[in-house]
Amino acid sequence: MKEYFQLQFKMLNRKMIDFGMPLLIGYILLPFIFILLSNYLFEKTEFANYAYGLLAISFVSKLSEPKRNDFLKSIFNKDKYRKLRITENLIYCLPFTLYLIYQKQFIFSTILNLCIIFITLFNFSTNLNVTIPTPFNKKPFEFTVGFRKTFFIFPIAYFLTYISVSVGNFNLGVFSMLLIGLTCFSYYSKIENEYFVWNYNLSSKDFLIEKTKTCLIYFTILSLPVIITLSISFFKEIDILIIFILLCYAYLTAIVLAKYSSFPNEMNISQGILIAISFMFPPILLVFIPLFYSQSVKKLNTVLQ
Amino acid sequence: MIKIEELSKFYGKKQVLNTINLEFKKGKIYGIVGENGAGKTTLFRCISGLENYKGNISSDYTKLKDHLGLLLTEPYFFSKITGKEYIQLLANARQTELTNIEDKNIFDLPLNQYASTYSTGMKKKLALTAILLQENNIFILDEPFNGVDIQSNLIITDLIKRFKKLEKTVIISSHIFSTLAETCDEIYLMKNGEIIKKVDQADFNNLEKEMKKFTIGNRIDKLELK
Repeated sequence: MKEYFQLQFKMLNRKMIDFGMPLLIGYILLPFIFILLSNYLFEKTEFANYAYGLLAISFVSKLSEPKRNDFLKSIFNKDKYRKLRITENLIYCLPFTLYLIYQKQFIFSTILNLCIIFITLFNFSTNLNVTIPTPFNKKPFEFTVGFRKTFFIFPIAYFLTYISVSVGNFNLGVFSMLLIGLTCFSYYSKIENEYFVWNYNLSSKDFLIEKTKTCLIYFTILSLPVIITLSISFFKEIDILIIFILLCYAYLTAIVLAKYSSFPNEMNISQGILIAISFMFPPILLVFIPLFYSQSVKKLNTVLQ
Repeated sequence: MIKIEELSKFYGKKQVLNTINLEFKKGKIYGIVGENGAGKTTLFRCISGLENYKGNISSDYTKLKDHLGLLLTEPYFFSKITGKEYIQLLANARQTELTNIEDKNIFDLPLNQYASTYSTGMKKKLALTAILLQENNIFILDEPFNGVDIQSNLIITDLIKRFKKLEKTVIISSHIFSTLAETCDEIYLMKNGEIIKKVDQADFNNLEKEMKKFTIGNRIDKLELK
């Protein structure tokens, strides 16, 4: 069992190195960000402990994936497997537990740890055999996959738009647009296998134009109910709405281009930092978009030329 | 036609392909055999343009890869893409218009299910269907029979024979010698990144015997099984 955890530790280190993060910085930065976000959550809402508990459970439940656990069952006997699963769940939950103790939420932290132990009894399948229909059949890929993983976000966003109109709160409407924008943004966080890029009989430039065009059209389709509702209900604010939509387009273009700027590898820390900077200072996108574009063309040329 | 001249490939200091010279003609079926790690997949990746290499690979086409259907040993699938969408994705990549995909589902695959839930053999058949519908002229099939059931095996074998009639070029790597012998015009034997032998149809039977002798030798005796 000791070897198993040593191996997990090695795998974590490798992931950080692959991401371009030096280990020392990673081990300082990650707890720092975790504490920062936890503080923010506990400052903002009185129900933070419940949200925190759900977050911890959803984080730990990733370890209950059936294929992974079937593999573990095949190499460890029943007792060792149970011990191993309980130990790894508790380790994964440790940051949450420590923070809850810091917040003096002793009972809640005990209940959370009991839940974490309890879920070792189950394997959660992440692959339901139900095919969720999408409006993106014509050009399947990022939006098809992404929509199926996040379909529940859209009714929430549309409902928020309805509320924003009912209570006359334009900002809430803009927030629902932001929710859709960020969701679509997440569809481009992972790079596809090089085989799928190789298959295109397009030049790198045309490939990027095609990808960006598809992204913007599909984003427009998903956000159209919000755009129409807000532009009718808050006609006076239409200029702000147009600026906001254009910003969404700019960020989506940036993420599509950033995705391929490290091809065939995943986006690394430098692209992550540039994207984060652009969120703080949007005009810098005028520099970053051409930069990501030229990097992507160079990288894509290796398989498309 | 594809012409490979003095092809070499290094991963760091390790040489995986060593000055390979080959020619693949139109309307011919070629087999590549060799042990695991002999360099077959790397050779295919170089021909496809998925790897950098030393040497020269030329063809009748300005961009060979745009006319090439590549079947990988282990096709990759996204988690939430159906079989039909996978076929559509690969057809879109080549700007091929597809109609009635269901009618062309020769392996009777459940096309509306997520491809990632398919079995190994079904994944292979889906990937093969997708490259067939791309309307390619050259096919590289890396282990097309792996994990595939006997019925589909027969279909693939017949398909390869049909390719020959349609003047397409097919390069296959396989460990199933009987299928290669049935379909190929020439078989190349690879070892340690080199082509060590070219065998024509007339000598296929001798090749199998020779390979058995050459590959097995006294290896199993070393285990001292009791």
